[in-house]
Amino acid sequence: MLRRLLGLYGLLFFAFIYAPILLVVVYSFNANTVNMMVWDGFTLDWYRQIFGLQTTVTESATYVDSSAQLYAAVRTSLVVAVTTSVLSTVFGTALALAVARYRFRLAGLYRTAMMVPMIMPDIVLGLALLIFFITIGMNLSLLTIIIGQSTFLISYVFVTVSARLAEVDTSVEEASADLGATPAQTFRKVTLPGIAPGILGGWLLAFIISMDDLVITYFIAGTGDTTLPVHIWGMLRRGIKPEINAIATLMLLFTLGVAAIGLYFRSRRQK
Amino acid sequence: MTLARRKLLQLIGLLGVPSVFLLVFFLCPLVIMLIYSGLTPGLYGGVDWVFSHLNYGRILGWADTRYEKFDPVYLAIFLRSLRLAALTVLASLLISYPAAFWISRMRPARRDFAIFLVTLPFFVSLIVRLFAWVLILRPTGFLNQGLMGLGLTSAPVEFLYTDFAVILGMTYVFIPFMFLPLYGSLEKLDMTQIEASADLGASRLQTFRKVVLPATLPGIIGGSIITFIPALGNFIVPSVLGGAKVLMIGNLIEQQFLSARNWPFGSALAMLVMTAVLVLLVVQLRLARREGMS
Repeated sequence: MLRRLLGLYGLLFFAFIYAPILLVVVYSFNANTVNMMVWDGFTLDWYRQIFGLQTTVTESATYVDSSAQLYAAVRTSLVVAVTTSVLSTVFGTALALAVARYRFRLAGLYRTAMMVPMIMPDIVLGLALLIFFITIGMNLSLLTIIIGQSTFLISYVFVTVSARLAEVDTSVEEASADLGATPAQTFRKVTLPGIAPGILGGWLLAFIISMDDLVITYFIAGTGDTTLPVHIWGMLRRGIKPEINAIATLMLLFTLGVAAIGLYFRSRRQK
Repeated sequence: MTLARRKLLQLIGLLGVPSVFLLVFFLCPLVIMLIYSGLTPGLYGGVDWVFSHLNYGRILGWADTRYEKFDPVYLAIFLRSLRLAALTVLASLLISYPAAFWISRMRPARRDFAIFLVTLPFFVSLIVRLFAWVLILRPTGFLNQGLMGLGLTSAPVEFLYTDFAVILGMTYVFIPFMFLPLYGSLEKLDMTQIEASADLGASRLQTFRKVVLPATLPGIIGGSIITFIPALGNFIVPSVLGGAKVLMIGNLIEQQFLSARNWPFGSALAMLVMTAVLVLLVVQLRLARREGMS
């Protein structure tokens, strides 16, 4: 009896997690242009609208100029996410290697300090970066977004790679050195392949978080450099129109795709 | 070159550039913010380099009585943020605990899949997840349509822009933060202890109170802290679901920088949040270390 109740509750729990997201997806196919909450048949018009194809939707149901701005925002987001994730992966991996493989006095401090950027309220970091850039006279641009996001994404990579480094057996590295390999050879042939899954995981995580970051980017983006989350944030402020459902669904597909790639690599590694 | 010297050079090579990057672009901005929190606001934004205690004074009640009376409104907003964050923790705990218990008793293959399902929404864009709740809660939204369809209410209920909406939104967003630590301690729970307790005549409630709850307390505390921290300083959820009616400390900080242009006061508020967060982080690390030792 109690077991049944618990099972029933479990299903409700998953419904709570997934129903809101599913709702957005389902209603992105709603043909009703007047009241987006009332189902009025299936349509692909919102998607056609986004891709600039012929549609029957009325002007009032969409945002002005939305497609062009949307493309620009997607492009900015991708440029920022690729650059930021690569930069944070290189820095985060270097720090993780130093802390895990070398003995030095500050190692403990690094380990604790690297937690701080992750738990910092994003509004504090975003505004601190804003007044910093203004104070030193640096114009807000793509570069400031990349720098700002990297400051906390390094920590995510650090944690992911450190976890992997802790699992890898150091005796293989020692054996490699004993057998006459140079440190560079040992690193390339032994250490790097061992922690590669951790690096890949950290990079994917940094990429996804960068694509999704709203608060920090919102404060330190130049006027012309709107990323996708900031663009959607602006759309929400201008009013809710059915077009958002379709954009949200496409974003959903994209992030789930990236997450699926990550999980695929992880499952291959375990075999 | 000696081995020690080579190792040192390697270490500097690994640490050097990232450390400088973080010192300049992470620590430096925070130090500047800390300094600004003790200065006088400039006439047109920015700061004047004159010390002022008024920024913290305005929050904590030690205001300059010549120009202004102590107005507890800022303290009230901070206290409200603490309250909303605490209620968020409570709601996520009550929602996640039974689910985590259920999943921890599954067969391993199903269990892994269930955990994957719980963490997956974490990768869905935050703004998309919050937008979904706007669709549900707004006056013409699904919840009100449902309620009116059932005849429970004749006019739409104001769900959006209330404390309820903000707590619901934060709970929804932070569920994985609460769930995973809870699951971690529930997974370690020894089923034979529960059976022993039942065999010895304890009621289900007694077993829960005396056996299950103490064993999972570390997970409860860990999950609570990890959820409380991002809830306290949250800015996006109250902006989207609370509107102008439910101000949290995050919104107040944003206003001071972007509309009121009072950098020092905004910095002081930010430092207040930072202090609360750092205290909680230290508590969490201490507890985790103690847990790891025992």
